[in-house]
Amino acid sequence: MNTQMFNLTQEMAQTIAAFQPSLVVVQGKRDSAGAGMVWQQDGLILTNNHVLNGRAPRVILADGRSFAAQIVRRDEDIDLALLRIETKTNTTATAAHPAAGQAAVRTGELVFALGHPWGERNFVTAGIVSGQGEFKTRSGRKIAYIRTDARLAPGNSGGPLLNAAGQVVGINTMILGGDQGLAIQAQVAEEFVQQVLGVPRASDSGMRAGEKSATASLRESI
Amino acid sequence: MSENLNPLMAFSNALADAASKAGDATVLVSARRRMPASGVHYAPGLVLTANHTIEREEGIPVLFGSGAQTTASLVGRDPASDLAVLRLEQAAGPLIGRSAQDGRVGQLVLSLGRPSEGGIEASLGVISSVGGPVRMHGGGLLERFLRTDTIPYPGFSGGPLVDAEGLVLGINTSGLTPGSSLTIPASLAWSVAETLAQHGKVRRGFLGVRSQPVELPASARQALGREQASGLLLVGVDEGSPAAQGGLMLGDVLVGLAGQTVEDPDALLGMLSGSLVGASTAVEILRGGQPLTLSVVVGERK
Repeated sequence: MNTQMFNLTQEMAQTIAAFQPSLVVVQGKRDSAGAGMVWQQDGLILTNNHVLNGRAPRVILADGRSFAAQIVRRDEDIDLALLRIETKTNTTATAAHPAAGQAAVRTGELVFALGHPWGERNFVTAGIVSGQGEFKTRSGRKIAYIRTDARLAPGNSGGPLLNAAGQVVGINTMILGGDQGLAIQAQVAEEFVQQVLGVPRASDSGMRAGEKSATASLRESI
Repeated sequence: MSENLNPLMAFSNALADAASKAGDATVLVSARRRMPASGVHYAPGLVLTANHTIEREEGIPVLFGSGAQTTASLVGRDPASDLAVLRLEQAAGPLIGRSAQDGRVGQLVLSLGRPSEGGIEASLGVISSVGGPVRMHGGGLLERFLRTDTIPYPGFSGGPLVDAEGLVLGINTSGLTPGSSLTIPASLAWSVAETLAQHGKVRRGFLGVRSQPVELPASARQALGREQASGLLLVGVDEGSPAAQGGLMLGDVLVGLAGQTVEDPDALLGMLSGSLVGASTAVEILRGGQPLTLSVVVGERK
């Protein structure tokens, strides 16, 4: 029994340590920083839109290197943003991919939130999936979310909610009533990234389907 | 489940299984104006819930995790433990399993609730303390309660506290301690529920005395023939009360009831359970330093 408990906590520490190189700081506001994660090894960073406001964003990697970041796309409606830094990374976040017909997460399963609450770097909180649902964005889109009892605070925004396998199941985005964390489901982020990188938007009509629209949208955002 | 899960993933799966299993027997109970609360299907057709969330007695909508919906009516309520029992018009879902053991400090637990149609909700934590007895508002005595560091989300009152296997350890309520939540242990909750299901209320015994604990001198202990440290000095005996009718007098020191020693007022309150009501009960006192046993017919606290 004690061995099991020891293995369990060891595994927990390893799971979190394995993700930590993919966790970044996003400095997008004058007074506070948010979190983000390396989404692709070519320098693509995923974060919340609301951590970007009023200054040219910078991204600090886990190894301490700091980069000026280009804004690839901001989506205020679903509160996600994609940044690019001019470097390659060794690691990347992996999103959970549920088997067909299965839910992405189960209520009660273990989750870990990684971020920088109140500016405290690389802070981990643990909890479970407390509930799941959908909310309607301002434009009427339905977005799947996860609620968690893992403690979140300002500075967690844009950071990952990981499952026990160390995969991203959500992007920590909001705090409700002080003790309830809300994360946008990872699938929403994946669709967002695919849409930004792979499928041209209506306004990018001059581009061929499949062509990367990152620079085009970059021009639009700035 | 695949065999190659690491211990963390296996544990995570087990927690989700526990939430799902106990969640199937955790129901939404809509008997108040503001948001619904939760309840537990504990016996066929019967739901245990938190008394303070029950603002009406008939036609109470109850929703199971399967989506099955039925209505329930109030069978009985016990404000002292903040428990109420409802009877379902149709038995509509699985029963919750009960843990064979009492909750222990440090034990991993889940608090569950079903305050909305959006599925079961859960919070993870540990049992922080085991407390009691504590005297509640209105004179009732709560023999034992659990505290946890799980988050009592809105609408969790009446929902279960379960162990890592999804077996119930108690019923959560925020109705007894404003601003926080505590858990009525399953052993106590089930016994209250049984009484409520049979009698519609929990009867509590009444003597009609006011008392204060006093140390017993060595001579008194000798007279009693046992090492009892304290007793209850009667500083008031209500006129016409069961105690007065049984011959208890001001200045008597109550040292035993129904064959059990009484050393403090909470112990006395705890012993005056409903089963003694109406029964001729032996009350052991010291009068003038001499032991004496009187017979008192215990009344019912209104």
